[in-house]
Amino acid sequence: MDNKTIETISYLARLKIDQSDKENIVKDLDKIIDFIGQLQEINTEKVEPLSNPLEMTAKKREDAVNSDNNKEIFLKNAPNSDEDYFLVPKVVE
Amino acid sequence: MKINFKSVTDIKNLLTKKEISSKELLDETFDSIEKSSLNAFISLNKEQAYRCSEAYDQGNLHGDLAGIPIAQKDLFCTKDLRTTCASKILSDFIPPYDATVVQNFNDAGSICIGKTNMDEFAMGSSNETSYFGEVSNPWAKDYVPGGSSGGSAAAVAAGIVPIATGTDTGGSIRQPAALCGISGIKPTYGRASRWGMIAFASSLDQAGVFARTAEDCAIGLNQICKYDPKDTTSVDCKKEDFSEAIKRNIQDIKIGIVREFDLSNLDDSVQNAFQNSIKVFESLGATFKEISLKNIGLSVPTYYVVAPAECSSNLSRFDGVKYGYRCETPKDLSDLYIRSRSEGFGDEVKRRILIGTYVLSAGFYDAYYKKAQQARRLIKDDFDLAFNEVDLILAPSSPGPAFKKGSKSSDPLEMYLEDLFTISANLAGIPAMSIPHGFSNGMPIGLQLIGNFLQESQILRAAHHFQLETDWHKMTPEGNMQ
Repeated sequence: MDNKTIETISYLARLKIDQSDKENIVKDLDKIIDFIGQLQEINTEKVEPLSNPLEMTAKKREDAVNSDNNKEIFLKNAPNSDEDYFLVPKVVE
Repeated sequence: MKINFKSVTDIKNLLTKKEISSKELLDETFDSIEKSSLNAFISLNKEQAYRCSEAYDQGNLHGDLAGIPIAQKDLFCTKDLRTTCASKILSDFIPPYDATVVQNFNDAGSICIGKTNMDEFAMGSSNETSYFGEVSNPWAKDYVPGGSSGGSAAAVAAGIVPIATGTDTGGSIRQPAALCGISGIKPTYGRASRWGMIAFASSLDQAGVFARTAEDCAIGLNQICKYDPKDTTSVDCKKEDFSEAIKRNIQDIKIGIVREFDLSNLDDSVQNAFQNSIKVFESLGATFKEISLKNIGLSVPTYYVVAPAECSSNLSRFDGVKYGYRCETPKDLSDLYIRSRSEGFGDEVKRRILIGTYVLSAGFYDAYYKKAQQARRLIKDDFDLAFNEVDLILAPSSPGPAFKKGSKSSDPLEMYLEDLFTISANLAGIPAMSIPHGFSNGMPIGLQLIGNFLQESQILRAAHHFQLETDWHKMTPEGNMQ
C-alpha cells in the first residue's frame, strides 16, 4: 500500500495515522491485503454474490409514532447539546 | 452454601425450595467475582440486581428463569447501565433502552449481575483488545480466555454465573467456549434478535449463550430464539422448546466429517480428542460419513473482506456528535470527527476499519468485496449440498487450546487463523456450538457441532447426549464437579 493510498483510505475513514505508527500499520495492512488477495485466483464466473445468508427482503413495519423516541433522553448522551440540538463547532463562517 | 458451578436447573431448585435466598445467591456471586480476579466484568449491576433479588425473595419476581443470575456481554445495550463494547469511544455510554435479548432474559425473571469484558467491538480472538484490559482464563491466569466474548466465557468457566450471553460474528462464542472448557452456541443467523446489539458485521453477527451444559444452553435459547419485529432480519419461524427437543436419542443422526479439514497439523491431543469423540457418538448410535466442503479454504480470506467492510460502514456512526467520546477542544467539525475517532478506537478496530474502507473503495470494490460475496455463495452452496447427506458436521472448535497472553497479539494474521474452523458457519448463517471434549497441555479444548439452517435442536440434542456419556463438561478449574 503506497503512501497516497494510505492517506486516501485513512481520510475516507476519518482516522488519523500517526507518523510514528505508519510503518507498522502499513506493514500489517499489506500482509492482510496480500492474504485476502488469494480470493482473486478463484473462478467466480456466473456466481451470484451473496450479501446476506437469509437472502430475503427486509421486512417493513408500521411507521407508527411511539413513546420510545424521546428527545430529552437521547440528548442526554450527547457530548454537547442544548435543549433541542446536538452541538458541534461552527461550520459556516 | 456453595453455588459455584451449579447448573441453571440446580440453582432454580435451590431457590424454589428456599434452600438459598436470592439475596444470599447474589452475595456469593459478587463475592466470587471479586475473588476470581479475572477482569471478566467491565461494569457490575449490583444495585439493580439486589432490587430484583428483594423482589424475588418477596415473591414478586416470576418467569422461567426467576432469580437466576446472568452475565450480559457488554455489547448488548442495557437500559440505564453503562454499555461500552469494551471501547474508549463508548466508555461513558448509558443506553436509554434494553436490547431485545436482554429484555428476553429480564422478562424470564433472570437477574443481570453485570456486563462482561470482551474484545473491543468484538474484534479479536483473545480478549486482549479491550480498552478495559485483558481477561484471564480461569484455568491459567497467564493464558487468554479466547474472544471476543472472553469475559462471558471466563465468568461461566469460573463458576460465577450459570449462564451468560455472547455474540458470534466469526467464532466469538464458540472459540472462547472451547478455550474455557464450557458449552456455547451460536444460533442460526436471524434466530435471535440483533436489536440493541452494537453492530460489528451485520450480515454475520448473531447472539447466543454460554453455559456449562447443552441442557442449560437449551434453556437459554428458549428465551432468545423468538421473532422480533424490531430486527428486519429476524426469522419468523415456529417457537421451539429446545429443552424438550434434546431428550430424544440420537440414533437417527448422520454426522459428516469434512474431508478438507486437515487435522494432521494440529496437536496430537487435539487429534486424539477428535477421534475419541467420534467413537462416543458412534456408541450412541450416530452414523458417520465423509463429506466435502470444497471451498471451505476460502472462509478466512472471505471473512476478512466481508467483516471489515461491514465494520467500516457500521462504525462510521461513531463520530463524537450524538453520543460517545468527543475529543477535547476540536478546532472544526472535521477535526472533531477525525480526533474523536482516532483517540476513541483501539488499534485492531482501526486496522479493520481501514481494511474495510480499502476493499469498498472505488477501484477495489469488484476485486475484493464482490469477489468475497461470490466466494461466500460458494461456501454456502457447499454446506447446502453437504446437508443433503448429513444432519450435523463435526469439527474442532479451534486449532489448539488457549495460548499465553501476548503470544499472538503482534501478528494480526496469526490471530485471524484462530477462527479457521468457526468462520464458515457465520458466512453460511447456520447454527453451531462448541462443547468441551478433552485437554491439551492441561488446557481445555472444544468440539464443534455445525447444523443446518434452523436446526439448533439437532445440535443441542447431539451435544446433550454426548454430555450424558462423558464428563468433560463437569471438569472445572477447581476440579471435577460430579
